[in-house]
Amino acid sequence: MKRTLLLAATLLLPYCLPAADEVSTFPAYVDSDICARLMLGPITPERMQCSKSTSKDGDMPVLVRLSNNMVFTANKEKTIQPLVGQLASITGEIKPKNGTIKIQSATPITADSLAANDPARRLVDPSKFTTQRDAALYEKIRHELAMMPYITEFDFISFTLSGGNVVLTGWTIRQTNRSTANNAVRDIPGVESVVNNIDVLPLGATDMQIRAGARAALQRQLSRYFWGNGSDIKIVVKNGQILLLGTVTRQADSDLATIQCNSVRGAFKVFNMLRVQSSEKKG
Amino acid sequence: MNNERISAGNTLLGSARVIFGARVVVAAAVLLSLCACSQAPEVLTVKRIPAGKEYSGFLSSYANLKPNANMENEVSFVSTDPVKNVHKYVAIIVDKPEVYLATNSDAKLLPDKGRESLVEYFQDAISRAVEDAFPIVETPGPLVLRLRTALVGVDVGGATSTDQKETGLDHAINIGKVGVEMELVDSETGQQVAAAVDRENLGDGASIASTTFSREEKYRAATEAFDGWASRLRQFLDSAHELSSEDVARIEQTNFPYVPSRDSKRR
Repeated sequence: MKRTLLLAATLLLPYCLPAADEVSTFPAYVDSDICARLMLGPITPERMQCSKSTSKDGDMPVLVRLSNNMVFTANKEKTIQPLVGQLASITGEIKPKNGTIKIQSATPITADSLAANDPARRLVDPSKFTTQRDAALYEKIRHELAMMPYITEFDFISFTLSGGNVVLTGWTIRQTNRSTANNAVRDIPGVESVVNNIDVLPLGATDMQIRAGARAALQRQLSRYFWGNGSDIKIVVKNGQILLLGTVTRQADSDLATIQCNSVRGAFKVFNMLRVQSSEKKG
Repeated sequence: MNNERISAGNTLLGSARVIFGARVVVAAAVLLSLCACSQAPEVLTVKRIPAGKEYSGFLSSYANLKPNANMENEVSFVSTDPVKNVHKYVAIIVDKPEVYLATNSDAKLLPDKGRESLVEYFQDAISRAVEDAFPIVETPGPLVLRLRTALVGVDVGGATSTDQKETGLDHAINIGKVGVEMELVDSETGQQVAAAVDRENLGDGASIASTTFSREEKYRAATEAFDGWASRLRQFLDSAHELSSEDVARIEQTNFPYVPSRDSKRR
C-alpha cells in the first residue's frame, strides 16, 4: 500500500508542481527601453544610434527577440548594458506573459551569423521589413486603440502592423489597458497575431508626484495641447524619468516642454521624443 | 462593612490602609465608567436618514444631481471642470462604506457584527468592481480619487430564531428598501468630482440574519443585491469616463505610431 502511494505520488508530482519557466536561446537586439517600445522600425543605424544615446542618458537596457519583436525586461541589466545597440545570442528563462527574462548568458553575434531563412533576419534587414500597407486594417486598429476609455495623459499605446501581425507597444499605468488593447486588436478581422509589448508602469508615490507635477507644469504653459478628456502630449513617468511623447506644432513648444519638465521636483531625467508637425493632418 | 471602613477612613487620613482601599474603589469606579463610555458611542454613531428628508446627508453636496439618462432610478453629477474631472485621476482609495438606518428603525437593535459584515461585503464588492478601471491605493495623492459610499435605508427586522449558530444575529437586517449614495472626491482637497444616488431596488426580500453570508435564499439575495449595486456603480464610472466622439477624433488626429523613425524628432 505504501509503495503504491509512493509510486502514485512520484507520477503525479510533476503535474502538481508549477511548470518551470521556459529556458530558451534566441537571437536578440539589445535595445534601450524607450527605443524598443517606440519601435523605431527595423534595426537600422538610426535605431542603433537611438538605443545607444538613450541608454547613455540612463534609460534601462532591454532585449528585443528578433523572431517576433517581443520585448523582454532582463533581471541582470549590467550583463546586457555593454551590448546595447548590438545583436546578441541570449539564453535564459523567459516569461512571455509579463515580458521578463532571467538571463543565463548573453553573447554578441553579427547579423551574418543568422541563417538566410531565419525569421530573425526580417528585423535586421530593413529591405525585408515591411510595415502595414493594408490601410483599412491599419486605420481600424488605430481607431480601436483611440476608443479605449481609460487612457490618460500618462499612457501611450501604439502599434506596428506587418502583414496581419500586430505588435502593440507603449506604457500604461493601468494593467487593464494592456489586456484591453490586446483583446480589442486581436478580435479585428484580418489580424493574425498580436505581440503585446505594453509595459505596465508602477504607481509609486514619487512617480505619481512627478506625473502630477509634469502635467500641471505643461498645462500651465502649453494649455492648447490639453483638453478636458485628453491631451496631445503624453507624459510617461518611470522610476523618476519623464518621457514626453505625442505631437506639438512648433519646435519652441517642444523646447518649452523640456524646460518645464526639467523643473519638476523629483524628476531626474527628461527624454523629449515629441514630434513637431504642422497642424494639418499628420500621418 | 466596606462603606463603613471608607467613611471611617475619611476621618482617619493618616491610615495608609484606608487610603489604599479608597484608591482601589476610585480606580474601579473610573474603570467602570470607562467601560460604559466605550460602549455608548457605538450606539450613538449609528446614522439615520433625517425624518422628512429626501437624502441621508452623506454626500458633500446634492446640489448638482440630475436624473441619469443612462440609468433608471439614479440621479447623478459628473464634473466637467477641465482641471478636475474623472479623466484626470489614475488611482482610487475605496473608503469603508457607511450605513444609514431607515428613519423609523431602532438603532439599538442594529447588531454591530451584522453591520460590520455587510459593510465588509459591500466594500469588497465595490473594490472588485472598480479595481480594473482605477488601481486601488491606500494613500491620498494628487492623482488619486476617494470613493465614498453609503448604504442608505437599512432596517432592523424582528428577532431571529434562537437556534441560530454562533454567527447568528439577534435581529435580522433588512435591505429591502436600501439605496446607495456614492461620490468621488479629490483625495487631497475633498472636492466633489462625481456623485450618484442610486435608488434601484435590488434588495427586495433580502435580509441578513447571520454574519456569515451563507447560501440560504435570503442571504444569496442580499449578496446579489450588493453585487448589483457595485456593478451599477461601475457602470456609472464607465459612463462618466466615456470619451465623446470629439475626443476620439482629436486623439486620432494626433496619436500616430512612431514608425518609421524618420518622422520622429529626438532632442
